[in-house]
Amino acid sequence: MEILFFAAIVAYFAATMLQSVGAMMDRNKLTRAARAIFIAGFALHTAFTAWRGFAAGRLPLANQFEFASGFSWSAAIMGIVLYARLKQNWVMTVSMPVAFLVLSYAAFQPMEIKELMPALRSTWFALHIGSATFSYASFAIAGGLGARYLAMLKKGHADSETAMKQTDYMTYRLICLGFLLLTVVILSGAIWAEQAWSRWWSWDPKETWALITWILYAIYLHQRMRMKWQGKRMAWFAVIAVVCVLFTFAGVNKLLPGLHSYAV
Amino acid sequence: MKKVLSFLRSMKFGMILLVLVIACSFAGSMIVQQRDAMEYVRRYGEDAAQLILALGLDDVFSAPYFIVLMAALCLNLILCSIVRLPRTMRAKKALISRAETAKTDTPLDEGQAGKLCAFFEKRHYSRYKAGDRIIYFKNSIGFYGSFITHFSFLLILLVGAAAVMTADVRDQTVMPGETLELEGGISIRVDSFQIVDETGLLDYASTLTVSDDIGKTVTREIRVNEPLSFEGYKIYQQTYGTAGAVRIKNLETGVSEDMKLTEACFLTLDGVSGMFYQALYPGYVTDSDGSVTLITSTSGAYTDPVYDIVSVSGGAMTPVLAFPDETLTIGNVSFTMLDPVSYPGLRIKHMNPLVLGLLYATFVLMVAGLYLCFFAAPLAVAADDDGYVILSPKTQTGLMIELEALLKEE
Repeated sequence: MEILFFAAIVAYFAATMLQSVGAMMDRNKLTRAARAIFIAGFALHTAFTAWRGFAAGRLPLANQFEFASGFSWSAAIMGIVLYARLKQNWVMTVSMPVAFLVLSYAAFQPMEIKELMPALRSTWFALHIGSATFSYASFAIAGGLGARYLAMLKKGHADSETAMKQTDYMTYRLICLGFLLLTVVILSGAIWAEQAWSRWWSWDPKETWALITWILYAIYLHQRMRMKWQGKRMAWFAVIAVVCVLFTFAGVNKLLPGLHSYAV
Repeated sequence: MKKVLSFLRSMKFGMILLVLVIACSFAGSMIVQQRDAMEYVRRYGEDAAQLILALGLDDVFSAPYFIVLMAALCLNLILCSIVRLPRTMRAKKALISRAETAKTDTPLDEGQAGKLCAFFEKRHYSRYKAGDRIIYFKNSIGFYGSFITHFSFLLILLVGAAAVMTADVRDQTVMPGETLELEGGISIRVDSFQIVDETGLLDYASTLTVSDDIGKTVTREIRVNEPLSFEGYKIYQQTYGTAGAVRIKNLETGVSEDMKLTEACFLTLDGVSGMFYQALYPGYVTDSDGSVTLITSTSGAYTDPVYDIVSVSGGAMTPVLAFPDETLTIGNVSFTMLDPVSYPGLRIKHMNPLVLGLLYATFVLMVAGLYLCFFAAPLAVAADDDGYVILSPKTQTGLMIELEALLKEE
């Protein structure tokens, strides 16, 4: 059934390419085809995830491969839902590469299905890790939108002021969503940690980096909401903060062993 | 004084503190914590180790400067919360009166007022008339989002600290069959302990019987994620160990006794001859030349346990590797090695349920506060014959874009 997984990567890649070319050349036919392929890829990805969950007898979010696949799936569904709501092509231009790149990263991780570790057998598992996939996906798409904003600014798209305003606003809204979900991740993790290890907080590297990410986005939101920062500065912030998200997601597991080391 | 107070409650001060928390957290995650000085010298070299120890970077999260930082953050949150609440209440009133008088900034053509009305009705906005203008209003509770978020963050820090400081935590090793007595007449008996090996995944489980002095008894298995709660106590399966066991028999009197071997010891009746227990190994490997290599890893099950002992008799010391059921006779005493016994390390925590409930309530409050902040921002739209204006304490770019698109539709 791994064929579904690799077919989804191919579909996401093809969709990303078509979407990029279509968006650059302003060809609606190409972007329409890209969307169709992306949705097909998403269906394959969903089928693979469902199969894996069925085969493992649990939620398929227990290791780096499964989490990355869930992260990519979350980015894909968020892209599709946002497009359905906003009918804006640029949503897909950003969501597609995020879904593709994260799923490609998953392909380099060990794929074998393993029994769920005793430490992960908890009712908090779904909420804690499920929220994390959506939170990271929100931040990643927001970072992509930030990059798009900067690219538009560099090209001097003076005629697309509305598009830039929309991009800027959507970056902010996705960060709001990601921040709320990351809060749920941290708080549900604290309750779970108390159940499992008798401590709410252990300053484990994964916890510490989740907190660093949370504070970083808290600073973003304060600057945006109170200081009314917008545009270029906030776009740069969104792009740079994604590095922190990616380090919390992958870097910590590889470089800083701790209580969350089973996430490798 | 006023200036100092104003700075202490300012967002600028809050941001500086958050950046400092990031810096401390970064250092605390990159530098290994709570190790002895030699470990830092070995890892980072002498000069860096000296610097780490001098700056307290070997234990960042317990260092005085970090505690001062957290206290300053609490102070900032207290002050800004105090200031925020009356401001929030004033803002709520102000928004309504502004909506009644504010100048419209976006003109409406003929027929567009109807579209606007239908749009807001579909979105369940409240609506009222003030003179010749209609005011659409939504999410008045959203005014409190920011206050609730900041206040709940403050409560999490304070109640969390109280929960940690008021909890009575003790770690206790209890052998299977033994009973541990706690204050208040509560006793914990370890009925059994087992290490379940699920193809390499080890799970540790203890069956406990916990009872109080009025006869209430609970028997349950505990394992990771499944602690036992009993009258304010929470009992966790925290760790485990494996002890050797020996049956000592006095061959003259026929009296025998079983003993657990948890550390190196000399077992003797006359003080001269006897058995010196050194260690227990989980298994061994026989090499091609017939020699035996002991397995020293103690992380798994004891599949082929081997006792490393020394027989001491008449001044002679003879090293011996013994297996369970083997008997060693030294003088008038026989030592029969028994199967090793695995035992649990329990963590027993007692805490005030009120503090625990309060802590979890603050968690819920924070999520609710953030939801109100981000997804239920209060807003009013005032529309009259000239046009409309959007009023909100938060930027409403999304609504502006939606309305622009709506009014452009043919």
